[in-house]
Amino acid sequence: MRTTITAAALLLSSTMLVSGCDKLSQVGGSTAEVKNTAYPEQVFWGDTHLHTANSVDAFGFGNRLDPEAALRFARGEEVTSSAGVKAKLARPLDFLVITDHSEGLGSTKALYDAPRIAINDPTLLRWYDLMHEGPKGSLQATAEILDARAHGKMPPGLNDPAKAQARTHKIWNEGLKTVESYNEPGKFTAFFGFEYTLMQGGNNLHRNVIFRDGIDRVNKVDPLSDAGQDWPDALWDYMDAYEKTTGGKVLAIPHNSNLSNGLMFMLTDPKGGPISAEYARRRAAHEPVVEITQIKGDSEAHPFLSPNDEFAGYGTAGWDQNNLLNTQPTKPGDLAGSYVREALKRGMLIEQRTGVNPYKFGVVGSTDAHTSLSTADDNNYFGKHPGVEPSAERATASFVPGVPVERVGRMNWQSLASGYAGVWATSNTREAIFDAMMRREVYGTTGPRMTVRFFGGWDFKADDLKGDWVKAGYTRGVPMGGDLKAGGSGAPSFIVSALKDPIDGNLDRVQVVKGWVDAAGNSHEKVFDVVWSDMDKRVAVNGKVPAVGDTVDVATATYQNTIGAPSLATVWTDPEFDPKVRAFYYVRVLQIPTPTWMDYDMVKFKLTLPAEIPLKQQERAYTSAIWYNPA
Amino acid sequence: MPFKDIVQRLLKEPLAHFLIAGALVYALLSGRAPDLGERRIVVDERVVSALVGRFSDSFRRLPSQEETDGLISDWVRDQVYYREALALGLDKDDEVVVRRMRRKMESLAVADAESRTPDDAVLQAMIDKDPARYADDPRTTFEQVYLGADTPQNRQLAEASLGKLRKGERVGAVPAPIPAQLRDAGSSDVAAMFGDEFTISLRNIAPGQWSGPIASGLGLHLVRVEKRTAPQPPRLDKVRQRVENDWRANAAARARDEAYDRILKGYDVVIELPK
Repeated sequence: MRTTITAAALLLSSTMLVSGCDKLSQVGGSTAEVKNTAYPEQVFWGDTHLHTANSVDAFGFGNRLDPEAALRFARGEEVTSSAGVKAKLARPLDFLVITDHSEGLGSTKALYDAPRIAINDPTLLRWYDLMHEGPKGSLQATAEILDARAHGKMPPGLNDPAKAQARTHKIWNEGLKTVESYNEPGKFTAFFGFEYTLMQGGNNLHRNVIFRDGIDRVNKVDPLSDAGQDWPDALWDYMDAYEKTTGGKVLAIPHNSNLSNGLMFMLTDPKGGPISAEYARRRAAHEPVVEITQIKGDSEAHPFLSPNDEFAGYGTAGWDQNNLLNTQPTKPGDLAGSYVREALKRGMLIEQRTGVNPYKFGVVGSTDAHTSLSTADDNNYFGKHPGVEPSAERATASFVPGVPVERVGRMNWQSLASGYAGVWATSNTREAIFDAMMRREVYGTTGPRMTVRFFGGWDFKADDLKGDWVKAGYTRGVPMGGDLKAGGSGAPSFIVSALKDPIDGNLDRVQVVKGWVDAAGNSHEKVFDVVWSDMDKRVAVNGKVPAVGDTVDVATATYQNTIGAPSLATVWTDPEFDPKVRAFYYVRVLQIPTPTWMDYDMVKFKLTLPAEIPLKQQERAYTSAIWYNPA
Repeated sequence: MPFKDIVQRLLKEPLAHFLIAGALVYALLSGRAPDLGERRIVVDERVVSALVGRFSDSFRRLPSQEETDGLISDWVRDQVYYREALALGLDKDDEVVVRRMRRKMESLAVADAESRTPDDAVLQAMIDKDPARYADDPRTTFEQVYLGADTPQNRQLAEASLGKLRKGERVGAVPAPIPAQLRDAGSSDVAAMFGDEFTISLRNIAPGQWSGPIASGLGLHLVRVEKRTAPQPPRLDKVRQRVENDWRANAAARARDEAYDRILKGYDVVIELPK
């Protein structure tokens, strides 16, 4: 059976580039015909970032669900959460990447399962006993494990490289078989992946690594562990080696730049010198996509960096005070290297000097849930980890309940029920979705499944929207993630179209965020409201469109779609275009106000919550940018 | 040095001698239940082998002399307390002990359930029991014209547009990133794009003619169904992996329940209501 998979997988990767209908793949003895459309017609929804009980911290937090449970849940099956609650996604996902931390893969579970008598390191013994005490002790132990990791003080018993390698190899290969058996081309895509947890003393430089290939290639490698490196070079070497030895393909997605204290998107190279063209090329080639939003906050923009953007600052509070492990306070000067919009600008600055843009990436949202359950909807949010699965206490608990907020740095209510990745692919297969990520035809949302199209070209007119504008977008322009074609004249024009999630809130407005770099080497940004609901009544004043209103009833955690619009579309031309100036454009879609997960909790558990806890929010989608490069 | 020699050397050491004096075989490590009346604890070669073996499993090296002494005295301490605690009945109302024993029994019951391979008859029976679960989605080829939000004005507009469409005239649609034509779209894809309400309504529309308006989570649509394809009954060779996944996902739970039912038969469970 396995040999047919191999043959089919090779066939798949070589024929995927052509469109049309081929008999493509065989999975575990089941045959399926997967059609590739000529251009992407459908957005596929997924999570590129999910942890199971195999992650060192997830198990400690109380996660007892293995990769199989995670896959079944994402596919729409009912599973029982670690806390014993039956859980099912209202709408299945189209794809999932399980990204367990490669460092110490399965080691917390191994410690838990070890005979107590064999443990003589006093620290390990303490953790063992705490974990066996029950959920509270387990959270305490996990906080201590993360602390030890941050300060490089892991007991040798957990860090023994030979033993860890053998365990990792075993668990990785078991996981591969499970993932392969749930990959169903055309229906549900299960990717192979892991998280490379690069973390200079608590500064988050984590990357999720995603493979394009089937088990026959991926089983040639074990996941790479961070062995105390400061920068991602070892990961890029690993990726190069994988591609060279197997002929496969692999990409990396950095996440939580908001917790990197400015190190994720630096203007300089690691040694403080200027970034070279070679370094820029290497980074861009390995990291085509960045995760812009997730449970641990939103990394699009920060009010400090974008004071004129009244919608900047969604999901930044609490996450902008300190690094991931709360070991180093964040200074205002760090913020520019921590947020995506600024990174897109920095990329162009570096490109102006070197000819190569290291930060030419697309964006996705994902959960980073450590519950094995990919939930990004506020009305059915299962939390960051099993310690904060639905309960009356979680809205007012610290991020790790029982461990003081001074130690963990933030409150649990500062978590977002976010996000998902939208991918414009030609079919629901590993190959098509991976390739869409490589060309950055992807976007992120904070949970709602809004459909968003964005095309850039030189001759789009309002009338295009009356015809087959998607076809026009692909033939006369480029989709999100692309470069405006050279040789255009006048100002670039953009087709922007957004549609609400069929079971979520209406849309408030669609904005184009433009960034550019002037001749003096300074970067700039501007947010344009390009189309909004009730445009005849909501007239812009000084370039600002009035607020959409608010129908949220926090006492019942409900809202009405009596404001906003189900769909918004326009053709927008940049009124301030300068052909000599490098620029990027991306779309931000805002929903009308809806309740936060804390409001749903408040109603469900009949709570009285302190005023500082937000009960309403405007959820959003962010597209990958389209870039303009002067000839 | 061979493992046996190491153990023998360790057994010659003073602490081991001291412990062996007045001791008797107690074999928790080999899985036998302790005899509660027995007041002698024996540290013999087998016990020390097991302790040393577990240590070297965990740390990839042999314990030093000092560490071995520590392992042995810790083991003796465990045994002394364990037996005293059992004699005092401390395990009886300890939830952690009860749960842990239950988990041990359960993991014995499911140990090999997951590694077995089901035969085709078992898988076919699963399909026969719930064919809809394994069948392909019903597929529909249809055109739709999106008219925007579900408002009274748009419902009026829908009436007028429907008339035009039925006469073969063109009407303008509200631009939105959903296809105007869907070919052989599976019901789950339709539901993802338009919502469940629309997907159900679509089932009841007679093919051939423009109909509507029908409502979705997005607003109003006029629809013309061209073709509807009912799914073929699921065939094992096409859906083997999914059925096998389901079988495997349930195998452990099934084995656990079966074992429990067997054990339960040996017990009378009496519920005494308060008088």
